[in-house]
Amino acid sequence: MRGLFKNKPFVIMLIAIVLLGILAFATSGERSVSWLESTVGSVVQPVQTFASKASDSIIGFVKRVFKTTDADKELEQLSARLAQLESVEAENEKLRAENERLKALLNYSEISSDYTFATASVIGNSQGVWFDVFTINAGRNKGIKKDMAVVNSEGLVGRITEVGATWSKVTSIIDASTEVSVMVERTRDIGLTRGTLTAGEDEMLELYFLASGYDLVPGDVIITNGMGSVYPRGITVGTVTEVARRTEGATTDRNAVIQPSVDFGHLEEVMVITGMVSEEGEE
Amino acid sequence: MRRFALPLAFLTGIYLDSILFCRLNIGGIRPDALLVVIVSAGVLLGSVKAGIMGVGIGLFMDVLFGPCIGLNAIAYMVAGVTGGLFYQKFYADNVVVPAMVAAVSALLKEHIMMLAVRISGGTFSYFEMLGVYVLPCMLLTVALTMPVHVVLKRALSRQVRTEHRAGRA
Repeated sequence: MRGLFKNKPFVIMLIAIVLLGILAFATSGERSVSWLESTVGSVVQPVQTFASKASDSIIGFVKRVFKTTDADKELEQLSARLAQLESVEAENEKLRAENERLKALLNYSEISSDYTFATASVIGNSQGVWFDVFTINAGRNKGIKKDMAVVNSEGLVGRITEVGATWSKVTSIIDASTEVSVMVERTRDIGLTRGTLTAGEDEMLELYFLASGYDLVPGDVIITNGMGSVYPRGITVGTVTEVARRTEGATTDRNAVIQPSVDFGHLEEVMVITGMVSEEGEE
Repeated sequence: MRRFALPLAFLTGIYLDSILFCRLNIGGIRPDALLVVIVSAGVLLGSVKAGIMGVGIGLFMDVLFGPCIGLNAIAYMVAGVTGGLFYQKFYADNVVVPAMVAAVSALLKEHIMMLAVRISGGTFSYFEMLGVYVLPCMLLTVALTMPVHVVLKRALSRQVRTEHRAGRA
């Protein structure tokens, strides 16, 4: 054991682990992005944006390959013309899907005329399932500030946790450490949602702390209640899929399982709520 | 071209881990491409180089995509150093050693992340996550390590040979 501590590289590694551990602990709380991080992010952001867009084509291609039957494959090999048409069709399909997504966002922003929005594309995600953090290609250049709410046409996505010059990090509502103050749309009962850790793509939220005697049925819509300064009131969070009371010790905490309204597995464009229209007018 | 092999491998790893594998995976299960490259670099180039690369790439990933800075840096540094423990001790053609190092490093990395989630207030069943996520991801990482190591070994062969000669001298 003593010999191990005489091993210079091993000692250096131990010191590095301790220092990086301290750094991780220090940066895990509320903080602002340093100029170095902001610069690194700004330099990489255009490349990431390009790579992210290119991925859509790759994924489209892979999906097409898996969906094609043997007969189609044979036909494709024999007919160059058909391949060309398929390629054009795939491109059209991609554009149509993009058009639909953008239309939905535009429609949402028109319906939610109380707020002003900054639109952004998702350009990268955190690795693994442990943290649901993703990076978008808009930052201080689009007026984005920390703790602004992020939505898309389907509902609440998350909140801004770090802001760089041309990029921001968003912590989604399905992150296991994220809590959102919500209410049941039908009964106006107030509670709290928290993300759960799941390996698959079936991301779920858990609803906690409803008042005793609550009335909740599967299918109830959960919306934000506007408490706190992060999430505006009335944004759809999800739908109750299972009313399951779970008791821990003497207290009842979890009341229900919620299916988020946003499809986090296929998130490509989002909108950041940058302010209220009335606020803008006053300014 | 050969001198660009490692930077290219890292760029590909960053792209795969941060974009492609997030959208294209098997029910949420995905390999860790950067870990594979770092482990392979460790076995081929030694602890010091791979450890430094691990810290650098880890910090880069933390800054761009992580919830806090340092977690990936620790995991990748340890992976690089562990890979380096087998530097010049086996034939570079051996793919079992890097695969085993990748398995251990992947397990370690996921446990570091688990610990961070626990500390930040997240709750989960350890054995459930181990069974349905950590071990399958580890297997995919191991499977990816073998071909990547073969490719990297070829790409870095001149550098590896030079260092072997320098080591003997």
